[in-house]
Amino acid sequence: MNQAVASLSIGERVSKAMLTRTVFTLHPFGLSVPISDTILTSWIVIAVIFLLGLVATRRLKEVPSKPQVLLEAFIGFINKTAEDNLGHHWREFAAFLGSIFTFLLIANLAPIVTPVGGFGFEPPFVIKPLTRDINITAAFAVIVIVVTIASSLRVKNPGGFLKSLVSPVPLMLPFNLLEYIIKPFSLAMRLFGNMLAAFILMQLIEAIVPVIIPPIFSLYFDLFDGLIQAVVFSFLSTIYIAEAIE
Amino acid sequence: MDFHFAALIGAGLAAIGVIGGGIGVGYATGKTSEAIARQPEASGKIMGIFIMGIALAEATSIYGLVVALLLLFK
Repeated sequence: MNQAVASLSIGERVSKAMLTRTVFTLHPFGLSVPISDTILTSWIVIAVIFLLGLVATRRLKEVPSKPQVLLEAFIGFINKTAEDNLGHHWREFAAFLGSIFTFLLIANLAPIVTPVGGFGFEPPFVIKPLTRDINITAAFAVIVIVVTIASSLRVKNPGGFLKSLVSPVPLMLPFNLLEYIIKPFSLAMRLFGNMLAAFILMQLIEAIVPVIIPPIFSLYFDLFDGLIQAVVFSFLSTIYIAEAIE
Repeated sequence: MDFHFAALIGAGLAAIGVIGGGIGVGYATGKTSEAIARQPEASGKIMGIFIMGIALAEATSIYGLVVALLLLFK
């Protein structure tokens, strides 16, 4: 009986932590727009990226200082990945792919800075991974697929785009069209499912063993998984765009 | 039988699909380490293909997970 009560409370705790909640509601032009905690966190992430960008590019020197070397390595990594996959069109897409990568990286790694509660101490704020909300990942996937189609239209011209829909044979038209639905769907689901699964597992581990064990698992589920998923998302976007413009 | 219990059993069944993703990722990782051991200089390219491969292999298990979650928190 006691066991049943305890397990119920764990399940309730996890499902409560998993679902997004509405923090406040905005009323622009008579509409009511509920602002959930994930959107609030994404605003914070945007502000952090903005400030980091301002601070990091403040005094760029010919002979780089230590932070500048780090920044140059990061930008160089993004540019090289884009160049390897996109060929001579890389310059047009490197900024877009780099922005997606930077946002997802900081968004996935943000939960690490959450202060740890326990022993009667309530943390003043809790940052949950905002990619556990499917609306965020779906928005990213839609942006990526719109950019993919737009880049195909621009590089290959509308005629070339229509021709790519019926290649290699006209029979493939429904499958090629279906691809534009499956691609964003799988992109959104992959990021959402991975981050949510990692988040739920961490919640379960914290509920069962609150000390010592969680940090070790957190290294994998928060740090490594978040990093890998950010890389995978931006890498797959790169490949989709490369497919569309070749 | 209550619909809730049926949903719980369905969620468990949907989670079986995760096995496929595990097999796929394990197979890809093994082959990748073989390939890198054979040709270490091509590790960059192999890693690119590997990451895309595991992402695609993982997608199916993620669908299983999402179906399970939809059944649990409908």
